[in-house]
Amino acid sequence: MKTFALALTIALTPALAAAANNDPGAGSWQMIVLSSPTQFSVPAPLSTTSIAYQTELAAIRSAQAQITDGQRTAITYWSKGGVLAWNQLLLEFVARADLPPAPRADGTYPAPDANNPFADPMFPFGNPPYASRAYSYVTVAQYEALKVAWYYKYLYNRPSPSAVDRGIKALVPTNDLPAYPSEDAVVAGVTVEILKLLFPTMVDEINAKAAEQQMSAYLSGKASASDLAAGLALGQAIAPVFIARAKGDGMGAAGSPAGIPALSAATAARGEVPWQSLEIPARPPMLPLFGKVKAWMMTPDDVLKERPGAPPSTSSGQMARELAEVKDAVTHLTREQLAIVYNWADGVSTATPPGHWNFIAWPYVQQSGFSEVRVARTFALLNMALHDAAVGCWDAKFAYFNPRPSQLDPEIRTVIGLPNFPSYVSGHSTYSAAAADVLSYLFPAGAASFDAMKEEAAISRLYGGIHYRSDIEVGKTHGKRIGDYTLRFALHDGADR
Amino acid sequence: MVSRYCDARAVTVLSVTPMKILSFVLLFSALAVPLRAQTIDDGIMMTAGSLQTGEIYTRDTWNQYWEGTLKRTNGNIGTITTQSNALSAVYGFTNRLMVVGMVPYVWTRPSQGVLQGQGGMQDMTIGGKYAFIERSSAKYGALRAIVAVSGSFPLSSYTPDFAPLSIGTQSQRISPRLTLNYQTDTGVYLTGTTSYTRRADVTLDRPYYFTDNQFFLTNRVEMPNVADYTVAVGYLKHDLNTHVTFSQQTTQGGGDIRRQDAPFVSNRVNFSKIGAMAMYPIPKINAVAFQFAVAHVLDGRNVGQSTTFSFGFLYSRAAQRRLIR
Repeated sequence: MKTFALALTIALTPALAAAANNDPGAGSWQMIVLSSPTQFSVPAPLSTTSIAYQTELAAIRSAQAQITDGQRTAITYWSKGGVLAWNQLLLEFVARADLPPAPRADGTYPAPDANNPFADPMFPFGNPPYASRAYSYVTVAQYEALKVAWYYKYLYNRPSPSAVDRGIKALVPTNDLPAYPSEDAVVAGVTVEILKLLFPTMVDEINAKAAEQQMSAYLSGKASASDLAAGLALGQAIAPVFIARAKGDGMGAAGSPAGIPALSAATAARGEVPWQSLEIPARPPMLPLFGKVKAWMMTPDDVLKERPGAPPSTSSGQMARELAEVKDAVTHLTREQLAIVYNWADGVSTATPPGHWNFIAWPYVQQSGFSEVRVARTFALLNMALHDAAVGCWDAKFAYFNPRPSQLDPEIRTVIGLPNFPSYVSGHSTYSAAAADVLSYLFPAGAASFDAMKEEAAISRLYGGIHYRSDIEVGKTHGKRIGDYTLRFALHDGADR
Repeated sequence: MVSRYCDARAVTVLSVTPMKILSFVLLFSALAVPLRAQTIDDGIMMTAGSLQTGEIYTRDTWNQYWEGTLKRTNGNIGTITTQSNALSAVYGFTNRLMVVGMVPYVWTRPSQGVLQGQGGMQDMTIGGKYAFIERSSAKYGALRAIVAVSGSFPLSSYTPDFAPLSIGTQSQRISPRLTLNYQTDTGVYLTGTTSYTRRADVTLDRPYYFTDNQFFLTNRVEMPNVADYTVAVGYLKHDLNTHVTFSQQTTQGGGDIRRQDAPFVSNRVNFSKIGAMAMYPIPKINAVAFQFAVAHVLDGRNVGQSTTFSFGFLYSRAAQRRLIR
């Protein structure tokens, strides 16, 4: 696929340079949602000397003898690692889904309907909070499933077909990782089931990718038919745990605009100017109850505890000064500042800011030499922090219901689309600080770079004319505190070397 | 009265002033707007040694556009107005070979919503045309065939990523063109012209983008090429030049604007439009001609249904040798 051929240019280092450590102990790393690997059973595999297994090997030899160019392309594509490949696909799914509903003729807006996903508007609208949640479900489920797989891999220790049979070529670099159950099939199994829920209109493409992933593992000598079957069954058995969590996490109600009039009145009663939609026709704000969606590392009390203090009053001198700063910035942008705005815009039809931070992680992951389970941990930690940042940020936005600069001063004209939800605190700032926090722990060598990117992403919103400095500064400290919840988990999950 | 053209039976094609809805259409305005009546795409050739300079103001507005093939309005932009002031110059090396050049300043404004209009120097266009066939007979009138080539390149670092308010596409372009012109002794003429524009990649300020149902992990955007043609029926006598045109542009690739999405620089922008133009020397100042043109988009894809007005003045300096004579 052209798209991801291009991805390879992002990080030129071969993905499988050297798997320095297979992390044989990953089966005992701390779980996040599951209770323990033995919550799921994986039957013992047949011995490598059994006739049935030898028959499987013969089938691989035969398939390798007839391998096609298309299959070789697929093997190369998936050789970067299934978790990374799915992460890249996920960004594409989000970008495709990241379209707000168009208004009806009467000026109202239809809501995407999960039960009728192909209608206009399609389900879902892959906006930033939805995307952060989607990234987190996929990556956390993959991580948990791989920890279970690792437990059974090292329980049964059945080698890969290419290690057992010299007649089978290893078409990807080998690493002595036990093959049963296949990590590729586990990932494919759990990912497909969750993506069906998150992106139901893309099921055909998702199934095709999963089949290609397993075929590549098979043809490359990594996994036999029974390695794949056991992996797929395990992945499919684990998925329902996450699907049940997703169905009960509050997302279904997060879009309800029912409380907005009361929220607006309460804000006005405090003497503050309440947020209004500046879209024409006015659109209900994006996911007003997303702040109530279940977080990964924070309890609802934690979310409240970390809620920042109130923004400057809309009638205060400080707000007037901050408003003037935004107006001056967006009216006198340098070309370099405009480039910063667009680099971080991540608006409609993009992978959104959480996706951007996954994208930032890719080259580090590709150069890391991490085992597949540790790659999964990397993305899971990053995306739990990003999802929790979205929850915390949306909690603050709808607690204070603060207007955007262009509402207080209609002369402020933006150079990007104005996000249709309250201003305080800045989502970009919260996301970026949480992500930089976690990535700096995972890849200390990149810490300075992550910090610089966080600063740039945050200030880009002031340059764009859509956020006050308070939104940004407070958003950054808020995001860092939220990221620290994930960090505290990571420091004691048993994986830290 | 001495004609300002080397052959009085010359033709001007009303070049298409595309509604600049999508930043991208600006491409064509850049080529076409300011060169009207002395342009790369008309049937006129200059007298050897003569120079014509011009200043043309163009105002282009639309409030409906095609989102893919769906025609709609958008309250977040209201009416988009794109204006330009362009300076142009044309010089005839010989009666058969001439060069043209022009630079436009372009600015945009939405009537509604919070988005900021953009403005700046857009793209310089330079080109040359050569009349490789010139035939005339008393019985059948005159026939001329012209080959032309023009190139355009951005003059400033305006963003191409803020459609429909961007002032251009930032794409370097080269357009070979063929023009046929037939003129009768009565002054009535017919012109047909067609070109194919090759467009260089555009670089965005962001590392990825989604278009044409694909997610591209690069800041480079491949720009589809563009074909266009125009037919004109006109009347040219005693330096009154007037005509009506029909034009069509077809982009050879690119994605549609998705539902409720913003336009993208490489969208498939197609349209057909009609236009009319009149040009006449100002009495007693024969070296200066006034020109007025109007055009309207009939149908389109990923483009605004714009109406365009333009007017300007063209100053001609006849060939020195003619003055001597």
